[in-house]
Amino acid sequence: MSMPDLPKGSAELLILALLEERERHGYEIAKLIDARSDGAISFHVASLYPMLYRLERRGLIQGKWVERASERRRRFYRLTAGGRARLESQRQSWRTFFQALNRVAGIRHA
Amino acid sequence: MHDWRSIVRAHLGHFPTDAGRADDIVEELALHVAEHHAELVAAGVSDDEALARALEPLQGDARIARELAKAQVASDVPPPLVEPSGRRTLDFWRDVRQACRLLRREPSFSAVAILTLALGIGANTAIFSVVNAVLLRPLPFVESDRLVMVGERADDGTPGNVGFATLVDWRDQSRAFESIAAIRLWQPTLSLAGQPERLPAMRVSANFFRTLGVAPVLGRDFTADDDVPAHRRVLVLSDGLWRRRFGADAAIVGRSVSLDGNDYTVIGVMPSTYEALISEHFYRRAELWAPIGYDQTLPEACRSCQHLKAVARLAPGVTRAKALADIDGVHAGLRTRYPADYSTAGLAIRPLADELLGETRPALAVLMGAVLFVLLIACANVANLQLARLARRQHDFALRSALGASRARLVRHVMLEGLVLAFAGGALGVAASAWLTPVLTHLTPVTSMRMAGAATDGRVLAFTVVLSAAAALVFGLVPALRGARVDLAASLQSDRRRSLDGASSRGRRALIAADVALAVVLLSGAGLMIKSVGRLLGVDPGFEPDRVLTLAISMKGPAYARDEQVVQAQQRIVDGIAALPGVDAVALAGQIPLGGNGDRWSVHVEGRPVTADDPYLERYSVTPRYFEVMGIPLVRGRLITDADRAGAPEVVVIGDTSARRLFPESDPIGERVRIGGDNGPWRTIVGIAGDVRHRELAQEPTMQMYLPQAQLTDDFVTVVVRTAVPPASVAPEVRRTIAAIANDVPIDEVATLSELVARSVGPRRFVMLLLQLFAALALVMTAVGIYAVISYTVAERTREIAIRTALGASRTSTIQLVLVHGLAPVGVGLVVGVALALATTRLLTASLFQVSPTDPTTFAAVVGVLTVVATTAQLAPTWRAMRIDPAEALRQP
Repeated sequence: MSMPDLPKGSAELLILALLEERERHGYEIAKLIDARSDGAISFHVASLYPMLYRLERRGLIQGKWVERASERRRRFYRLTAGGRARLESQRQSWRTFFQALNRVAGIRHA
Repeated sequence: MHDWRSIVRAHLGHFPTDAGRADDIVEELALHVAEHHAELVAAGVSDDEALARALEPLQGDARIARELAKAQVASDVPPPLVEPSGRRTLDFWRDVRQACRLLRREPSFSAVAILTLALGIGANTAIFSVVNAVLLRPLPFVESDRLVMVGERADDGTPGNVGFATLVDWRDQSRAFESIAAIRLWQPTLSLAGQPERLPAMRVSANFFRTLGVAPVLGRDFTADDDVPAHRRVLVLSDGLWRRRFGADAAIVGRSVSLDGNDYTVIGVMPSTYEALISEHFYRRAELWAPIGYDQTLPEACRSCQHLKAVARLAPGVTRAKALADIDGVHAGLRTRYPADYSTAGLAIRPLADELLGETRPALAVLMGAVLFVLLIACANVANLQLARLARRQHDFALRSALGASRARLVRHVMLEGLVLAFAGGALGVAASAWLTPVLTHLTPVTSMRMAGAATDGRVLAFTVVLSAAAALVFGLVPALRGARVDLAASLQSDRRRSLDGASSRGRRALIAADVALAVVLLSGAGLMIKSVGRLLGVDPGFEPDRVLTLAISMKGPAYARDEQVVQAQQRIVDGIAALPGVDAVALAGQIPLGGNGDRWSVHVEGRPVTADDPYLERYSVTPRYFEVMGIPLVRGRLITDADRAGAPEVVVIGDTSARRLFPESDPIGERVRIGGDNGPWRTIVGIAGDVRHRELAQEPTMQMYLPQAQLTDDFVTVVVRTAVPPASVAPEVRRTIAAIANDVPIDEVATLSELVARSVGPRRFVMLLLQLFAALALVMTAVGIYAVISYTVAERTREIAIRTALGASRTSTIQLVLVHGLAPVGVGLVVGVALALATTRLLTASLFQVSPTDPTTFAAVVGVLTVVATTAQLAPTWRAMRIDPAEALRQP
């Protein structure tokens, strides 16, 4: 199989997975990805927000301006039901993919 | 304090979206940048550097603006993980290469599939190249669709022979034909360099070649001046004869040649490309031509001397129907003027192509159909293999689907694999057929120049390409649709050895049923033909063919100008051969049964009214011991003896059928008849002999009569020799004896009578052999197919069987499980196949002899054979199933 655009698919997975835990805003998402991957994957502003807007357009996440006392207003994103389904589907695909990789090339995932 | 919004807005530039949304985006991005900046500053980075680093992602080209703009466009289709293809053609070739790679990785499957397809496609290509050469190629004459045969209507509705005077009248009075040519058999003896040779030839009217639209390549064609008795000794040679006997002499035109002791002048040579199809069809392939050279004063030019055939070209724009109406009108006028010379039967017109090719069409059609069935069986087998293989690849498809491949893409992928297999098989098949076709044309008993043209030309290749594509569609579609219908969750969760995928198993079983059904049809056809040929060879020909040698000799030239000279020479030859060791008896006859000849004369019984509808009897002029040599029995009266010499009372012996038909109420012995018109003597019937099958074994005996050679002498006779030893061993001695007695007598057509009998069933037998071959192929392929499917099923159901065995199921029940499962589709196939065969075997009716197309014994045998084969094919896998060790099987993943 040829997979020239791996990052695109994985970006979706990462974002949806992070939003599964709780609502977050853009900067928080970027920071978390950076932290949890030990710097291996990082999103900068120019790639993160277009991705978020796309996901929003597709109804997988929903963004909302939230104003809290003594804080700037921020845009928080949460997972929709569709996003949850999509996340599950993506997880399965990736699981199977890694199984296949393992069988073929002896690559194990953690 | 930075104005982050302004800074971000400045960096973004303009991006197309509505103002409100733009503000939101700017605000969100500004927030992100600000937080990043704050974080950096808190980490000890200087303000300027922090600013630079926070803003860095927004630098550069307007890519981010574009991305943002794109993100605003609603798109329902999620971006797939695999790049969607916009470049169609490159994709196609990539898929093809990928299909090739995949197939290379499964060499046993690919080899079996390609070989199977090669067999099916190759056989079709071979037969088609013959069909192409014989039937589809236009005749090698100019506008051959306007060429027809014209003649008085024979019993079977085809045009028969014509008399010269009739032809002259037709030419003068009919408007419907551009030209009418006449042809006649001629067998001159060429005397060259002391080697007499009897040549197959034709006498033709001067316009013969022009009617066909061909012409000599050396010298000139005949003219009307040549076509008169005084000038008819001119010749046109065939290219073959010119090379063979004249060494391709460039100065051949004008050269004098001795034929039948007379001098002829060569005026032309036909091109090497000329196909003497007409002479080949009616007589033997002519090697030279001379003008008929009649005029109306000659006795053989009479109206009722029907020994010419008419080949005509329709006038432009005239249809056959119009031509028939026209010539019928002319002929009706002739009938009124000469009622005694014409029967009431009327005329018939037949396209030349029908005349020349009509006999081969049904046989070729049968073969083409049979070979197509073989291909269908091959396709069913390959489809089965594909189904099994794709079932194993379910995971692969599930993954592709998850990674974004659409269903159409998956179907296309499988179809492409099929196309690659089919074209590989087709290429191999074409190579095989290129080798096979010459072998076929060599073996076929129908020697025809047309068959020699069978080759792998453009049309044949095009046929192969189309057939390969069609085969790919046939065997590829069902597996492709099945394979692409992927149940994502199910297949992703399954373990590797899944128990029966119900739909796939049904598909495979249906294909087995199809296999068997097709095999039934082929086997039935072959079986019926085998039975037919067997019946045919069992027909009593009316004579004893064993241990009889035949040779054709002719006595032409000044030494044999008078009948007495011929009769004396005949006697010397008979005596000479009879004296040889190993020879029991010798005789001569003007023609022999199954010899490929015909010579029918009208017979008029004394005392009966003179009509034009006198019967025609096959005439055999024979020497006395003929009946003994041939083993033809006497029914009543007496046979021909030495006493029946020239000058003695004229006698005739008639056949049994003739006796019954001509004299249904009375005894023929003693009655008198006149043969061949009213000019001959009255001949007394002295005996009745047993009938013989004259034209072919399948035909009922015709009316026949025997006359003494001494009283009605032939220039051409067949020597028949009954031997005590194998006839072929005597042949050289017989030849030497004849040459010693008369060295100017050419000897021709040496064969044993048994060979002639076998040759007469040659064409049918050939079709039978080919059908047998195809049926055998079908049987093998079906057996292999069943074996493969059942093996696979057993492998799939290993766990299930193991569990059952562990739970106490007996071996018998395991056998039942596997066998019943395997035989059920075979049973269905047999039923469907028999029904199909009953419907299609009636197409063979023309080739069958004394066998009904629905012959129950044959069908029963076919069902029996297939059942045995199908059961045998399942034995090995069933045995494996029985041997499954439950513990071992359940331990496997």
